[in-house]
Amino acid sequence: MDYFGYMGKVCHVDLTTGTVSIEPPVERDLQRFLGCSGYAAKMLWDGVRAKVDPLSDKNKIVFATGPLTGSLCPSGGSYELCFKSPLTGVWCQARSGGAFGPRLKKAGFDHLVVEGKSDRPVYLWIRNGNVEIREASHLWGKGVEQTTDVILQEIGDPDASVAAIGVAGENQVHFAAVINDRGRAAGRGGGGAILGSKNLKAVAANGTLDLKVAEPEAFIKSIQKAEEALDKYPFENINQFGTSLLVNILNANGCLPTRYFQYSTFDKAEEISGELLAEKYLIKRRACYGCSMGCGRYSSVDEGKWQTPPQDGPEYETINMLGALCLNSDLASIIKANYLCNDLGMDTISAGSVIAFAMECFEKGILTKKDLDGEELRWGDSEAVVALLEKIAQRRGIGKILADGVRSAAAHFGADTIALHSKGMELPAHEPRGESKTLGLQYAVSHRGACHMHPNWASTWDAGNFESGLREFGMPWPPADKFAETGHQKGVAYRLVVLQGEIVEILGCCVFHSWGAADQCLTPQLYGEMLRTLTGREITNQELMLAAERSWNLKRCFNVREGLRRKDDALPELMFKPLPDGPNKGLHMKDLQGMLDEYYEALGWDKEGIPTRETLKKLDLEDIAKSLGQ
Amino acid sequence: MLKTLVAIPERCTGCHRCEMWCSIRHKGVINIERAAVHVIRQLPSIDDPRVCLQCGICIDSCPKDLITRNKKTGAVEIDKGKCTHCGYCILSCPYGMITFDPVDGHAVKCDLCGGQPECVKHCREEAILYMDADKAARHRRDANSKRDRQESKKPNIRQSKAG
Repeated sequence: MDYFGYMGKVCHVDLTTGTVSIEPPVERDLQRFLGCSGYAAKMLWDGVRAKVDPLSDKNKIVFATGPLTGSLCPSGGSYELCFKSPLTGVWCQARSGGAFGPRLKKAGFDHLVVEGKSDRPVYLWIRNGNVEIREASHLWGKGVEQTTDVILQEIGDPDASVAAIGVAGENQVHFAAVINDRGRAAGRGGGGAILGSKNLKAVAANGTLDLKVAEPEAFIKSIQKAEEALDKYPFENINQFGTSLLVNILNANGCLPTRYFQYSTFDKAEEISGELLAEKYLIKRRACYGCSMGCGRYSSVDEGKWQTPPQDGPEYETINMLGALCLNSDLASIIKANYLCNDLGMDTISAGSVIAFAMECFEKGILTKKDLDGEELRWGDSEAVVALLEKIAQRRGIGKILADGVRSAAAHFGADTIALHSKGMELPAHEPRGESKTLGLQYAVSHRGACHMHPNWASTWDAGNFESGLREFGMPWPPADKFAETGHQKGVAYRLVVLQGEIVEILGCCVFHSWGAADQCLTPQLYGEMLRTLTGREITNQELMLAAERSWNLKRCFNVREGLRRKDDALPELMFKPLPDGPNKGLHMKDLQGMLDEYYEALGWDKEGIPTRETLKKLDLEDIAKSLGQ
Repeated sequence: MLKTLVAIPERCTGCHRCEMWCSIRHKGVINIERAAVHVIRQLPSIDDPRVCLQCGICIDSCPKDLITRNKKTGAVEIDKGKCTHCGYCILSCPYGMITFDPVDGHAVKCDLCGGQPECVKHCREEAILYMDADKAARHRRDANSKRDRQESKKPNIRQSKAG
């Protein structure tokens, strides 16, 4: 059949046998889940049995794109890496921009599924429907930058996109990232460790194939509408300062995680701000493929002890996790640390978090100089931060323990009460107590563990006051107080926030264009219009919402099958203690259980957080209900 | 006055939207390899949009005389329907701005979209501009001068050896 928007091919690579098989997508699943992480969830539901060791050859990893990936949709520069995570043991998806997703499609595939384990290091070169498994022994031990250089030279295509692991992935650091296009990270959850466990050093992709458009004139009209909406996008500074503009904003609003979440303001925030970054170190702004916003930073440090060659980033999360969270106010050192994380292939969020955790352990005497090769680990020590990154990636000294993530390290040190994570995923650089209680809920319930972005910026409704086209679908309006917990329809509202984000994720896009008034951003309605005209498929906006809900429920079922229940939708103790400083002094999470009740009810899940049979039936997921034993 | 394209690399973020718009307008699909505008990424930090100058060097190269100047827009256009894919125009272009279409084999060359270039309309960064010819000429003189001055600063190894 003819595919529009989709390439219409899924590539399966079994590294144990060295075989490549190419299949059309399963049409019924394509209709139900539309693509990207939704379609990948179904493949992993079918293909990875419960309780499989994430780092064994039985696990699979999917490079997933959606129909709008690589199209003219202004947010379509994404791919999602989908897998069962070694960090959390449950569902994980990590989004990355750059050009890899679009180039994978130009090479002929919507999805690349990798399974098994190669007996020697290899990389994949995918071009115009062909897949080559190539020798990579000479690349093992090399950083992402050099790996990318060598591969581009070997394949002879300087425009190809390379997604690679660094030393951290080879050493199966549980939060190792896959880095594409030298500096864009599919960061969270340890996808890089899975590639490392499979001896897969990299995937290179490019091609000359058409992305076919079902109704070109109508599609062009929908893209023009999208461009016009984004001309009015409310975060007008985001292209000027990137996500790093948040440093000053969150600090002023008392929700900038500082000193491992002990404080919500940082007296030296100005010194690590996006404004200063733009003034002193920014070379240029760099956009992902097809993105009209271009929030990406590209910076270097030209002199001094932190000299760093030009590199993507640092983004807000990196700046705060390796900065304020460790009380580090040396922006040049953060740029260096960001470069190292990219080259070693590590998630900057988890890396910053385990370092801050270790600093707190040192302060409390849980870790001593003896544990740290005779060195101290004090708050704000930028040299220690940078040195620890290398140790973690190489699993040397204390790095060996920190490399397994904060949950595992805390168990090792007997410091469980200090560790900040949910489901094993380290808290990122947003403070729920000061930003919004819905964010606290999301940290607890997000499928991949504590996350501010999976599947959406949780606070868009109650802290952002953004309607984003959702009133048509029943969004309560006006939004409730951001610090309210139960009794304000937050479960109902958050369900819609989730579905909005999930639409973006299953279509293969970036969620950054999604927040504003109905005429200021990429709404579900606009996504519906782009999807219909691109693919030629009859799908109403309601059906698009339904597909998103289906996908969100399937991912929940994936975790339920792994044994997760209500008790796992949890927050660290600290979140229930009052903030000691700033404009939100005294605030804390109170009734998470009540919020869970409202959220589960809105989604049609039972008290344990399991989607009921009726809910799954309503979502056309009876096959899933059946294999869950319902 | 006639207009022509001018690119300003300092403004380009490397998003490739100009190429995508070019391909959907001319080919009805999205495929930057089929576009007549090209964004080149130079490591480490330059994204460089390259546009056809409409200089007309290619006009004489076509053995079938299928390349002509559009008197209304000033664009140098290829009569694609009759193109025999011989490649002489590609050889003739000193700027590498004519390419073979990887799908249908035709020569691909910028035609200024009949006077309303899509790449310009949709570049939010204003990295490609559609300028009056005399302003564009001024811009090209400045850009060439800047480039030549930068080049003259580089050590010329062969010369110093001879000296």
